[in-house]
Amino acid sequence: MLPSFAYARPTSLREAADLLTQPGSYPLAGGTDLLGCLRDAVFPADRLVSLASLPDELRGVRRRNDGGLSIGALASISGLAAHPDIQAGYPALSQAASEVGSPQLRNQGTIGGNLCQKPRCWYYRGEFDCLRKGGPRCYALGGQDEYHCIMGGQGCYIVHPSDTAPALAALGAAVELTGPQHSRTVPAKDLHMDPGRDPTRETVLEAGELIREIVLPALRPGTYSAYRKVRARRSWDFALAGAALVLELQGLHVQRASVFLSGAAPYPWHAQEVEQAIIGQELTQKTIQEAAEAVVSRARPLVRNAYKIPLLKGIIREELQRAAEASRT
Amino acid sequence: MNKTYDQTVLLQNEQACQWSPSGHGPCDPWGRTRHLGKKVPRVDAYERVSGSAVYPSDVLLPNMLYAAILTCPHAHAKVTGLDLVEAAKKPGVAAVLGPESPGADLSWPYGDGYTGKLFDPHCRYEGEAVAAVAAESPYAAWDALRAIQVSYEPLPHVSDAREALQTGAAKVHPEGNLVSPKQTYVRGDVQAGFEQADVIVEQTYRTQTLMHTPIELHGCVAKWDGDRLTLWESTQGVYAVQDTVTKVLGLPRSRVRVIGHYVGGGFGSKLETSKYSIIAALLADATAKPVKLFLTREQTFLAMGNRPASTMTIRLGAKKDGTLTSTEFSGLGASGAYPAGGTSLLDWLAKDMYLCPNVRTELTDVFINAGPARPFRAPGYPQGSWAVEQAMDSLAAELSMDPLELRLKNFTSTSQGRQGNPSYTSNGLKECLQQGAERFGWATARKGTAGQDPGARLKRGVGMAACNWFVGGGWPPSTVVAKLFEDGSVNLNMGASDIGTGTKTVMAMILAEELGLEPDSVQIENADTGTTQYASPSGGSKTVPTEGPAVREAAINIKKQLLGLAASELGCDPDELRLVDGRVQHRDDPDRSLTVVQLKGLKEQRVLLGIGHKAPNPQGKAITPFGAQFCEVEVDTLTGEIRLLRFVAAHESGKVLDRLTFDSQVIGGVAMGVGLGTTEERILDARGTGKLCNRNWHDYKLPTMLDIPEELDSVAIDLPDYEANISGAKGLGEPVTIPTAAVIANAVYDAVGIRCQETPINPVTLVAKLQPGD
Repeated sequence: MLPSFAYARPTSLREAADLLTQPGSYPLAGGTDLLGCLRDAVFPADRLVSLASLPDELRGVRRRNDGGLSIGALASISGLAAHPDIQAGYPALSQAASEVGSPQLRNQGTIGGNLCQKPRCWYYRGEFDCLRKGGPRCYALGGQDEYHCIMGGQGCYIVHPSDTAPALAALGAAVELTGPQHSRTVPAKDLHMDPGRDPTRETVLEAGELIREIVLPALRPGTYSAYRKVRARRSWDFALAGAALVLELQGLHVQRASVFLSGAAPYPWHAQEVEQAIIGQELTQKTIQEAAEAVVSRARPLVRNAYKIPLLKGIIREELQRAAEASRT
Repeated sequence: MNKTYDQTVLLQNEQACQWSPSGHGPCDPWGRTRHLGKKVPRVDAYERVSGSAVYPSDVLLPNMLYAAILTCPHAHAKVTGLDLVEAAKKPGVAAVLGPESPGADLSWPYGDGYTGKLFDPHCRYEGEAVAAVAAESPYAAWDALRAIQVSYEPLPHVSDAREALQTGAAKVHPEGNLVSPKQTYVRGDVQAGFEQADVIVEQTYRTQTLMHTPIELHGCVAKWDGDRLTLWESTQGVYAVQDTVTKVLGLPRSRVRVIGHYVGGGFGSKLETSKYSIIAALLADATAKPVKLFLTREQTFLAMGNRPASTMTIRLGAKKDGTLTSTEFSGLGASGAYPAGGTSLLDWLAKDMYLCPNVRTELTDVFINAGPARPFRAPGYPQGSWAVEQAMDSLAAELSMDPLELRLKNFTSTSQGRQGNPSYTSNGLKECLQQGAERFGWATARKGTAGQDPGARLKRGVGMAACNWFVGGGWPPSTVVAKLFEDGSVNLNMGASDIGTGTKTVMAMILAEELGLEPDSVQIENADTGTTQYASPSGGSKTVPTEGPAVREAAINIKKQLLGLAASELGCDPDELRLVDGRVQHRDDPDRSLTVVQLKGLKEQRVLLGIGHKAPNPQGKAITPFGAQFCEVEVDTLTGEIRLLRFVAAHESGKVLDRLTFDSQVIGGVAMGVGLGTTEERILDARGTGKLCNRNWHDYKLPTMLDIPEELDSVAIDLPDYEANISGAKGLGEPVTIPTAAVIANAVYDAVGIRCQETPINPVTLVAKLQPGD
């Protein structure tokens, strides 16, 4: 049962931001994550600030003069998955969106909410006073850690659950934030919080700040992008591991590369070692093998999640082979 | 406690069934049928699909209150303080209930003579009831629960069966963690059998704990009229609930009415009666209002039972030609915090499935600090199948034999696990194996996978496994009453629940078939202890073979009366008459006839009553369903992802009564087996708090539609078995899920040469084996 809370439904972003500066206030968009958190008493909420009456442009996808795209924070995940401009220009994002949750969750969930969702760690979600909830320690450490991170864990060992976040980071997207005082822009790759800095926050958003829109840059013609997700069952599941790849290829020659991982770290993990292994190289079997080895060079598995090492290597091999095949055709 | 599946209870039932050598009088086999064997939609399909079916959780009564139970958050703890005062003051609260509330100091019967308290201060598992409230709304009830002050003294816990018997393990009960002395079974000389063997395989297998998660949660609505209690309960057996409730509350049966017309899923967990029924009754009594009490999903996961994890070691010996010479099997399982059949039937496939003269099995059932197990669709068998059928597959590989041939080679026509080695009333195993293999294209498929590129990223594999199931014949007692009205319509009054399997539809078809009616003209009143006759709960695949013959007998009794009435009106002997399509006609002169509604005698009498009983089973025989399943998988060797490409499930359960509900059972059983084989696993915080980690439908991974094979062919082997009973049918609901997980594992082995010893098979467990060295 949901505990009781107050409810507000502002009509402007500024009004919403003002309401959200007050402690205990949470924005309610699709609600697929927030309502579950409230039912499970993950955190108390005094007030929900519904975003349902905000202007319609926050729901849309529009072409920009610079050739890029702007996506309103309230755009539905299923809308992004099906959007022809995104499918054509940013396959990594449409693929990531289509891999989110289940059809019902994709219809209800928003891109802003997907980026700001809370981790799925069962200790965080359960009746454990864990570090992320302001408690003394991480229960995954020495506990049931099969779905936890193998990189980037510091104190807290969650994985960030978003599929769209690594895709947006790899695509070089920018996230426009609106706050009570001012607006600012944060690169998608810097949106999420390293638990070493603050284990109680998932994003760099300050009190009252909301995602307004996401800006995708124009990509060079022929840029290859893809998102691959592996999960324990084939729908309605978060990534055991995944990768978003954006490659500029000249034949098999890699001019530029951007690779971010899901299911690996507490935030979309920038796989710089993979990029270094392939940039300036031909996508030969040897290069691909080296890149696969490189993806886990910084991995520090816990007790039960070492399977993520061969899994990530397998994903990188598979996806680079796929990219090479695509460039041949 | 109703321990329907306990091995000894079942065997006793089986023996009790055999008190009389002959049951029913002479009865013709079904000849050419109008309804039986056809695809007949559910008689209650409209109600179920439209939402007009009233499930117990839909029941709304005037002035009804909503109750909720506060449960222990620790795996093992003592309640050292409980203060309900603040909770009682919360707005909307009508009553609070704790161990010291009037009438609540009740003992609760667990199995094997163990008793606890309704609110036991010693909580041996997370989810044990501590206190309860009733309030004007569910929200008010839950707000009040949060205001209850409890102090606990946490105690050391043990979460894993393998650790329960180790020195220093926390004790669940003062006497220790062994539920009962190890059970051993021996026939022949195992040692000598292994000495005769040319090939021996020995392997260890493990299945994870699966949690019960019926769509409709566990719960009930309780209402008192004076000193008479009515419970609307989501249950597989209304008489089973009446049994426990009358015992715990000390009421006569006549004053406890249990109604369970619809059940939103029952896979064994709703065979048993739970504390919530008593708590709801006490709260309804305290408030003089009806009380609705449904558990949450988490509480259902924690306290409503599971298929216990198993650790099994199996050793098979065989001659070069595949003849089994010896079988050794040991199994370990956990009942949970109270005796609950942690190893029930776990060794039965090892000792019963294949012809083997020398067998030794050993079972160890232990206590752990987790919710007690409950029957779970074919208790013990899918676990046993995981070991036996994979070991058979390994043996076939060692012998360079086709796994199908190895099964056929060791075919047995008797039930070796049973006393006296009885023969089967019918045995369609060979047909399942052969027709299933033919439909699957087994031989061709095996050649295909053997010839694939060894370096391919995506590898295909095919696998198969066979099964039988312990219960196929049902047992007495059961009584049904059919009423034929003067307008030709029929009421069937039957105590049994239709838990979603289609029982009502099948019974309507049997009545309609025998009386020459349309199933639509049969209305069924069922699952109500106040108005329907005694039936044991619907479980054990026994409902059709128990109720089916009783219903046919009731119809035959009505038919006899109809023919008698017609004979006097037509001036002939009843033996000269036939009942065809609602018309009584003379066998030699079809024009000499009367329709049922034309019968004067029926018009005068208004109604004909037909009573039917389940007759005892034939003596010295085993009534057993059989099956064989085949599948093709595709394994991504880089990621460990598996896709189930196609499945063929061939099952023999006597006569096929409704081909639609038959196929539904097969499809559902395979889907459930896919859960055991590839996705489901209870995860306890074993090394920390012992608490349940995966307590929702995301973390506890039921297979989704995408995880179920796209092609799922049900091959119905129709072998009417009138020696079993006069319906010709044996049970089906459970065998359909038994071999599925092992079939998948065998197919994965065929694809990549890796023997998956632990469930579930998915990237988490498979990828590291595919990429060794990482």
